[in-house]
Amino acid sequence: MNHMQGLIPEAVPDAAVSDVLRKLAVVWTGFEARLEATPLIRKLTRGRFELADYHAFLIQLRQQVQDGALWMSRAASNIDVAHLELRSTLMRHAVAEHRDFRLLEADFVASGGALETIQAGRKNIGSEALSAWMFHQASIPNPFGLLGAMFIIEGLGSIKAAEWGRRVRERLSLPPQAVSFLLYHGENDSEHMQTFAEMLAPVATCPATAARIVRCAEVTARLYALQIEEIVA
Amino acid sequence: MSYLRPVYITGTGAFLPGEHIGNADMEAFLGAVGGRPSPLGRRALRWNGIAGRHYALEPDGRWLHSNASMCADAVRLALGSAGLGREDLDCLTAATTQGDLLAPGHASAVHGELGGGGLEVASFQSVCASALMAAKYAWMAVGAGDADCAATTAGEFSSRWFRPEFYEGGALVDAKGRLSMAADFLRFTLSDGAGAVVMEGRPKPDGLSLKVEWIDLVSLAGQFDPCMWAGATAGNRTEREGAWSRHGPVAAHASGALALQQDFHLLKTVIRAWIGVYLQKVDAGRIDPKAVDHLLCHYSARSLREEIVQILQTTDAMIPEPRWFTTLAESGNVGSASIWIMLDALMRANRVKPGERILCIVPESGRAMVGFMMLQVVGATR
Repeated sequence: MNHMQGLIPEAVPDAAVSDVLRKLAVVWTGFEARLEATPLIRKLTRGRFELADYHAFLIQLRQQVQDGALWMSRAASNIDVAHLELRSTLMRHAVAEHRDFRLLEADFVASGGALETIQAGRKNIGSEALSAWMFHQASIPNPFGLLGAMFIIEGLGSIKAAEWGRRVRERLSLPPQAVSFLLYHGENDSEHMQTFAEMLAPVATCPATAARIVRCAEVTARLYALQIEEIVA
Repeated sequence: MSYLRPVYITGTGAFLPGEHIGNADMEAFLGAVGGRPSPLGRRALRWNGIAGRHYALEPDGRWLHSNASMCADAVRLALGSAGLGREDLDCLTAATTQGDLLAPGHASAVHGELGGGGLEVASFQSVCASALMAAKYAWMAVGAGDADCAATTAGEFSSRWFRPEFYEGGALVDAKGRLSMAADFLRFTLSDGAGAVVMEGRPKPDGLSLKVEWIDLVSLAGQFDPCMWAGATAGNRTEREGAWSRHGPVAAHASGALALQQDFHLLKTVIRAWIGVYLQKVDAGRIDPKAVDHLLCHYSARSLREEIVQILQTTDAMIPEPRWFTTLAESGNVGSASIWIMLDALMRANRVKPGERILCIVPESGRAMVGFMMLQVVGATR
């Protein structure tokens, strides 16, 4: 029953890192509460979720997942030689995820949608704002603020994805291969989160960077929630 | 709130009905739904870590007390520990999850049991955090100078809702006679009792008093659906026409709308929301974990505690475990009454010294709420 396990890495001795993690945890819980109140998630938790809602959700997720590896790659290219480890981690991360949008397409098709429909889907207003924000952040030299954004997005994978996937399956009576992205992320993202503390440790001791990380988490959380708010099937 | 005069808890009282009942005997008191033991019971008890509790009823269903009478007894005990009597009281606030009557309020029922002349009363109905709502009224009444001596009490008589007749013949029992987990878990978690404290505008001359530094309550109901509730089915709990009264009491029973239920999936998210509120208070400097000498956390399950401990450690917000004090294992989870039962036990254990700070945390899964109360121990004034 360790529901936070995926979110907060274990055994972090550094006070500066603990301070950032605490602020990030506050941002996360506020974000999670905001998600609960969005029309899409309310439909899901109140048993009103339809296949059209799932398809609309997949279309937006695909936009964001496809962009994810791209902004991570761009961010890596903006990290200087003094932070090579961080650059390596981001690059590994980008490689690990840059094909994930294909999973979403497969889910879309397996749940009865047409491949052309999801591929032709366009970003909603929240997705546009989120994407623009992420690429803007990634374009800054040493874009360490993005660690805050990753905390939010990885948290979604390790905490929300499996729960949402289970509810979608139950509600729509779908086979697992039609919900593979949500279920797969629920299984795998706790490992991703373990690398988060390692990434945080070398940069969180700088107060300005720590503040930037938290601010970036706040903005990312708000824009991500906007993306979900804007999904109306 | 510096414009209020200081307020002190000068007496505490806890009333636990009947005998202490161990895990092996508890189901005999609640009765077996469908005539057979619960398949969930052992697992629920392992999960919540409760080893004993008290019930205000007998195995044959006979009641030993009412919710109001237990609260009145707790108030008498609290007044006694303050060296006061009923005649000294000029304000009474009372909290409960479900009172004896649907109307009027619980405080009126407690006043009725206490007897005596006119009193200012206020009733608070929620789940666990209702205790701190009622406490805040008493604290502000004394702080504002409207009352010189206020008692606040919280009580629960949960076991009566857990008897088989509350489920049988309704939709919460399936074709094989099994009660839904959402309802059955709470039968093995909640029990009966009452607690009370007395608040005055000055510390008592002898012994220890507890200065109430502040009481904060945060509801997140604007974002969360009901997580522990009674009065609607799971599917109807957020509907405006979903309440039990819409189709009358007979239909309500048939649909399973009258029993207490818990949404376990939502609870996981609500737990994180509680932690978020606490961490926010730590971050804002409202709570300094290092300056807390005793933590009374009303957690309703052992696993909840493990989860809290884990996150608090990694975010440097942990109050070391030796400073945690609880009576959950031996007295059970008594809902709103638990915080006063724990505070009374802490004071009787002679564990507190003048100058020390006691932090009470009361999470309520009802609809995502959490309450905090900070106390400072004050020594004898003469």
